[in-house]
Amino acid sequence: MAVEMASHSQVLVEEKSGVRILTLNRPKQLNALSFQMISRLLQLCLAYEEDPSVKLVILKGLGRAFCAGGDVAAVVRDIKQGNWRLGANYFSDEYILNYVMATYSKPQVSILNGIVMGGGAGVSVHGRFRIATENTVFAMPETALGLFPDIGASYFLSRLPGFFGEYVGLTGARLDGAEMLTCGLATHFVPSKRLTALEADLCSVGSSDPTFASTILDAYNQKPRLKQQSAYRRLDVIDKCFSRRTVEEIISALEREATQEADGWISATILSLKKASPASLKISLRSIREGRLQGVGQCLIREYRMVCHVIKGEISKDFVEGCRAILVDKDKNPKWEPRRLEDMKDSMVEKYFTRVEEEGEWEDLKLPARKNLPAIAISKL
Amino acid sequence: MRKLLDGHNLVDRDWIYGLMTQSNLFNRKERGGKIFVSPDYNQTMEQQREITMKRIWYLLENGVFKGWLTESGPEAELRKLALLEVCGIYDHSVSIKVGVHFFLWGNAVKFFGTKRHHEKWLKNTEDYVVKGCFAMTELGHGSNVRGIETVTTYDPTSEEFVISTPCESAQKYWIGGAANHATHTIVFSQLHINGTNQGVHAFIAQIRDQDGNVCPNIRIADCGHKIGLNGVDNGRIWFDNLRIPRENLLNAVADVSSDGKYVSAIKDPDQRFGAFMAPLTSGRVTIASSAIYSAKVGLATAIRYSLSRRAFSVTANGPEVLLLDYPSHQRRLLPLLAKTYAMSFAANELKMIYVKRTPETNKAIHVVSSGFKSVLTWHNMRTLQECREAVGGQGIKTENLVGQLKGEFDVQTTFEGDNNVLMQQVSKALFAEYVSCKKRNKPFKGLGLEHMNSSRPVLPTQLTSSTLRCSQFQTNVFCLRERDLLEQFTSEVAQLQGRGESREISFLQSHQLAEDLGKAFTEKAILQTILDAEAKLPAGSVKDVLGLVRSMYTLISLEEDPSLLRYGYLSRENVGDVRREVSKLCGELRPHALALVTSFGIPDSFLSPIAFNWVEANAWSSV
Repeated sequence: MAVEMASHSQVLVEEKSGVRILTLNRPKQLNALSFQMISRLLQLCLAYEEDPSVKLVILKGLGRAFCAGGDVAAVVRDIKQGNWRLGANYFSDEYILNYVMATYSKPQVSILNGIVMGGGAGVSVHGRFRIATENTVFAMPETALGLFPDIGASYFLSRLPGFFGEYVGLTGARLDGAEMLTCGLATHFVPSKRLTALEADLCSVGSSDPTFASTILDAYNQKPRLKQQSAYRRLDVIDKCFSRRTVEEIISALEREATQEADGWISATILSLKKASPASLKISLRSIREGRLQGVGQCLIREYRMVCHVIKGEISKDFVEGCRAILVDKDKNPKWEPRRLEDMKDSMVEKYFTRVEEEGEWEDLKLPARKNLPAIAISKL
Repeated sequence: MRKLLDGHNLVDRDWIYGLMTQSNLFNRKERGGKIFVSPDYNQTMEQQREITMKRIWYLLENGVFKGWLTESGPEAELRKLALLEVCGIYDHSVSIKVGVHFFLWGNAVKFFGTKRHHEKWLKNTEDYVVKGCFAMTELGHGSNVRGIETVTTYDPTSEEFVISTPCESAQKYWIGGAANHATHTIVFSQLHINGTNQGVHAFIAQIRDQDGNVCPNIRIADCGHKIGLNGVDNGRIWFDNLRIPRENLLNAVADVSSDGKYVSAIKDPDQRFGAFMAPLTSGRVTIASSAIYSAKVGLATAIRYSLSRRAFSVTANGPEVLLLDYPSHQRRLLPLLAKTYAMSFAANELKMIYVKRTPETNKAIHVVSSGFKSVLTWHNMRTLQECREAVGGQGIKTENLVGQLKGEFDVQTTFEGDNNVLMQQVSKALFAEYVSCKKRNKPFKGLGLEHMNSSRPVLPTQLTSSTLRCSQFQTNVFCLRERDLLEQFTSEVAQLQGRGESREISFLQSHQLAEDLGKAFTEKAILQTILDAEAKLPAGSVKDVLGLVRSMYTLISLEEDPSLLRYGYLSRENVGDVRREVSKLCGELRPHALALVTSFGIPDSFLSPIAFNWVEANAWSSV
């Protein structure tokens, strides 16, 4: 058993026979993914794929969060210095990491014992096994920030039951561990007090055949009940409203439902949509709808185009404004531009989905060629 | 490339694809780790009819049909067509039921009817308060609409029309929606006023009440189980002196006054009938387009399968060879792929000219739509058969779609006008145009005949690869073929007429030349649409690949047509060169095959499981 711990390392690595345990180590920033963390994770994942002694990878976070997201504050600093390309590099590396994890030939077990949002979902949900606990809090909060659910979320959100994916992606709603398990974002639920024992058992795995890990996980798995007020109990309303063709029609449908029954949940849902960036809402909806019909690689390529347009800020500067209002000044009062949904025209939405025209080169996201894809990875392409 | 092929309303298509994959009503299943949606053809006829209606209600609730009759203009029409196409990609029965209700019943009310009909019926149709069908075809008369035997007279005392079925061959047959669900129908009938037969007219009749009981003086029987489309409840209808109010005559073209006088702005009965039938062009447009999408589903499946399935080695102890690496397998599928591409552009062009139609363009649209409907539906049947064979035993499994689609789409070759009859319309129109221009000594204008005003193209005797792939050469061959066949056809008809035969009999006896001519016209029209699409592209890889596809379309069409040798447009050496070039093109298109079928834009879940991991789909763990 060898423990490698470089000082100041943002990703801790432990070797326990055939298993590698990676721990995200930026607890003061809730393990938000820095550029260095992403590079390190990518480097490690690719190395472990080639190394026959590695059978399984476990990913977890130090402290009360698994990972609260990508380090968007750093990207915003780059944009403000006129350096949108540095931001683009951050996202391209992150999306490549997401792709490698989605197509990984060995099982990855992510222990989501805490906050898992945005970029944190990107480095866990694409993996084979996701373990939720009673401490899990999941969300894709990007529309409140002037961004959109990226990191391959257009692939996995769109594949949730009914139109739950649109609900989660547009409203930024929070899900607990039980809800994650029920809708399929998590594969197992294990109470946090049993995690140490689980980890120890997983380290006995002697083969990269996922059935071994699966058998161990199934033994610890529990099926907690959904809470009474869970949004997942309202799938009938969610399906009815979030299946509508446009964001405006979704909101009208919700408002019609609200007149039928005075319901705190419906009003809260309408409120989060009304507070979100109109530009973000429209591009997020289209992204999820297109992603539903595409493989994970195509989703990431499309999202990369979109995020480059977001950070270039030529159509809307909502990303910078959203980060200012929510993360920096924290006044929670962003001034979106365009301000209203009807001012965000289809032609403007369309621009986010096109290639970036730029002097100097800009290229579509280049995904690495993958080999030895297991059947489950092939089915995602 | 997907944008080029689908042409329009991509976001709307994605939305309705999503509506179908995310609902439990569309027979969602998992195979090999992927989700698929396709109808369960193993259900009974009654179950298939019920679930088809449930699927339509679901789409209705989600606002898919909003504005389909109450909005007008090219944008609204293109959106309707796109949504209808996606319905057809999922299940032909769904698109037929929707098509009958909106495009046949609904458009009849809109275009044959006047304000009072629009106000009474259009919104109720859009909201499915009434369920409409279209009673035109009879047991004894299908393509020949003018010969139908249902008779309607007028009773001035009660101001009612009286519709009756005078004999068994007059029973309405194949009326989609009539057997179970429809409440109202358009009735086509001969109209007898004061002893004179004024010809075929259209009326509205209620056939069921809101509780689903058949109305008095109407008898309905089921057409029974079919070789496909069992989600459509086709019925047979007899009218036993059914009385309907005078207002129910759809009176856009002609009318009957309350005291029983027949009036029409169009005096000539042939012209009146033509004006009457013009709105039915939409049927040919939607059929042509849906035929190509069906071919796309077949080809996407067969080509993807052939990129993962292996059979036989060619070296001792060597690995088995991928199906699509065999020249013979390439030869079976890649030319069909190229034709499908070319015809896809043709279908899109037809949709564009249809939605932008004016009274002046109606005649041309009639001719082109007749040609395209015939050629594209025949192509689909041929393609599906080849694809079924190309995937071997897996094509026999209903769930794998390719084989099942043959039965589902076969009807397209004979409904809305039998293909052979429609192709005659093409040759007759060209004949009329030729004779008229020669008589008036005017240059040719319209129907793509302008090339006949220039001198006859001369084809080079030596056909090199670059000549064969040159668009000017390709256009010249197609123009020469059309020109020569048109001249031969008109000449032969003239000769027969000179010997005392009537024009009609002369046409019948020259039917082989007529068929060759109709095909030549249509293939040339199709070539033009893919050339236009290619020309609009900026230089680059997409344009280059499309150029290869276009050359394959042209050369395979030439290789398969005996006219080239029979009438001496090409020599024996030339046709050998053409054949060899087709084989070369097979090899050059092979590396692009996957990209070309992916560009169809049909989501994976709407294809067959054998297009993906067919081993995993059949694994014991999934049993």
